[in-house]
Amino acid sequence: MMGGHRRILVVEDDPETAGQLMEQLVTSGYRVDLATTGNEALSRGTTSDYAVITIDRMLPDIDGITVMRRLRDRGVGAPFLIISALGEVDDRVRGLRAGGDDYLVKPFSFVELLARLEALGRRSDTIAKETILRVGDLSIDLISRSASRHGKEITLLPREFQLLEYLARNEGRVVSRAMLLQHVWDLHFDPSTNIIDVYVGRVRRKVDEQQAYPLIHTVRGVGYCLRAPG
Amino acid sequence: MLLAKTLASSTFRLALIGIAAFGLIASTIFLYVYFATASYVRGGSDRAIRSEYLLLSNAYERSGRDGTIELIRQRMADKTLADHIYVLADSSRAILAGNLRQWPSAVASSSGWTEFRATGSPEFTRPPLVRGLLLTFPGGDRLLVGRDIADLESFTASIWTAAISAVSLMFAIAAAASILVTHRTVGRIEQINATSRAIMLSGPDKRIPLRGSDDEWDRVAENLNLMLDRIETLMGEVKQVSDNVAHDLRTPLTRMRGRLEKAYHSRRSAELDQSLIGDTITDLDAVLRIFSSITRIAQIEAQARKGGFRNVNLVEIAGEVVELYDAAAEQNGTRLSLSGDREVLVTGDRDLLFDAIANLVDNAIKHGRPGGHVVVTSEYADRCPVISIADDGPGIPADQHEQVFKRFYRLEQSRYASGNGLGLSLVAAVARLHGARIEMLDNSPGLRCRLWFSVPGCQQVK
Repeated sequence: MMGGHRRILVVEDDPETAGQLMEQLVTSGYRVDLATTGNEALSRGTTSDYAVITIDRMLPDIDGITVMRRLRDRGVGAPFLIISALGEVDDRVRGLRAGGDDYLVKPFSFVELLARLEALGRRSDTIAKETILRVGDLSIDLISRSASRHGKEITLLPREFQLLEYLARNEGRVVSRAMLLQHVWDLHFDPSTNIIDVYVGRVRRKVDEQQAYPLIHTVRGVGYCLRAPG
Repeated sequence: MLLAKTLASSTFRLALIGIAAFGLIASTIFLYVYFATASYVRGGSDRAIRSEYLLLSNAYERSGRDGTIELIRQRMADKTLADHIYVLADSSRAILAGNLRQWPSAVASSSGWTEFRATGSPEFTRPPLVRGLLLTFPGGDRLLVGRDIADLESFTASIWTAAISAVSLMFAIAAAASILVTHRTVGRIEQINATSRAIMLSGPDKRIPLRGSDDEWDRVAENLNLMLDRIETLMGEVKQVSDNVAHDLRTPLTRMRGRLEKAYHSRRSAELDQSLIGDTITDLDAVLRIFSSITRIAQIEAQARKGGFRNVNLVEIAGEVVELYDAAAEQNGTRLSLSGDREVLVTGDRDLLFDAIANLVDNAIKHGRPGGHVVVTSEYADRCPVISIADDGPGIPADQHEQVFKRFYRLEQSRYASGNGLGLSLVAAVARLHGARIEMLDNSPGLRCRLWFSVPGCQQVK
């Protein structure tokens, strides 16, 4: 799916968290290197080529964001996933949105981390230039902003179209509720209601009702996945 | 104790420096006045003596000893020259003429200025203090012309005394005044210190006493007392919140513990394990969500986000919220609609305003009438930006309007509905950060919640 480039650098100072992360990432098929300090991250980050670098906001020696800036200055192009324990209102982390990197707030579920790593890794792989996205018999025209299944037009509100587009761009990958909020609504907090589920439910009715097979699948406890059968 | 503190205080030390500088200047002025007066008085007297001396010495040279004796007798008879002393003596110091009985023994030199106290001359009621000029003629005769300067001396002496007393009095008054002022200052500061110590020992229930003098010290005390009030309120709130947090966290934690304990003592089964772990993760997520809501509210209340304030359009935000909740409203059979002006500008944080409005809309849909109508209105009312969210459900009893904004507060009837009771306190925190006022009105039927923002040029109607 991502070619042979599945090498990740994990920068984390807590040994237990680091151990859990390494174990789970290796199980998911990644090659993982660990750095426990900012300085170690700087030396590893510049000498090897990584698909994604996950970095803790609080490190014993250098601040995670400073490490990221220095690596960027040294020409490291890998996307960063900042992991912050400071909460959603950590403005410095919020500010990273502009740089195109992602962030995650501690504590997080491993599936959420994996979903974000997949999305980040893909972005550094290929930036899709096509104007029409196709998943099974669903086709999404990015120019006319319209979608159809089996040649039959689906009427979508602008936000519903954006949601479907985001799911289609991440075809076959799990997309969490937080990722939807962040990328479709540009919101950086958890409304702590089932609002996203209700919204996705409506899109699903429009897309999947009375069709040969369903495309939008619920992944229990995490979010959604758009994929064609087979 | 207080006196020792007074003397050691910096105010007193400053006052001492001031007194020293001022005293030095005053002493210099008084010394100058004294010396100037004394030399003026002496100078006048010396000129008078010199002119008499010249008159008599000329007379001796012109008309000899007898002419001089005659002139001395004339001068002595003159009442205007009453305080003058004239003596003419021969070479053996026997008096030839004059108003002293004998040649003053204290006078050693033969010519020039001299000063002595003339004793043994009974015609004076008190022995005069004489200042005079001496001359010894070539024949051996001696002439002394002088004045009794006792009065002049006592005059300059009285100036000296006056100067000394004035300076001393000044020092005494200044010292007394500075001790008094410092004592008063130190006293008030000591009161504040004593209150602070009492608070550190026992808690913030003490207050600094006011004197009712409405001076700067009373204002300092007032402000410190206000600060203490605020701290006490905050501490009370923190305690209230931690009690509530403990309660709300204890429920899912107890559930988890019980479940795990039961699983620990019973036989393993893959199916049961699966559902046990799933339920535990769900409960843990609820706990974490409560935690992040609390920290979020705390951070908003710490006003940490004012840096991200920009001009935002309430209508736009309201539109996005309505769009997000459109599906949820539809599911509930509720009609959700927007109304009001085209553009309502406020300065604020888009994410936080979105969150607050979303919470109010969420509540309106949840607690409104199924199949009812929720309206979000953004408009200018008396030039103030206002956003209101109205439903036509059962509403909230008027006596509980204030309560619902407290953390973890939930109406009895909604105790078992979903939600953690933090939504409205987040709304309250966001409103406070934006300087907005929340108003709850009876929509008859239903509830209308209004947020009044203040911008320059708007007077809020109370």
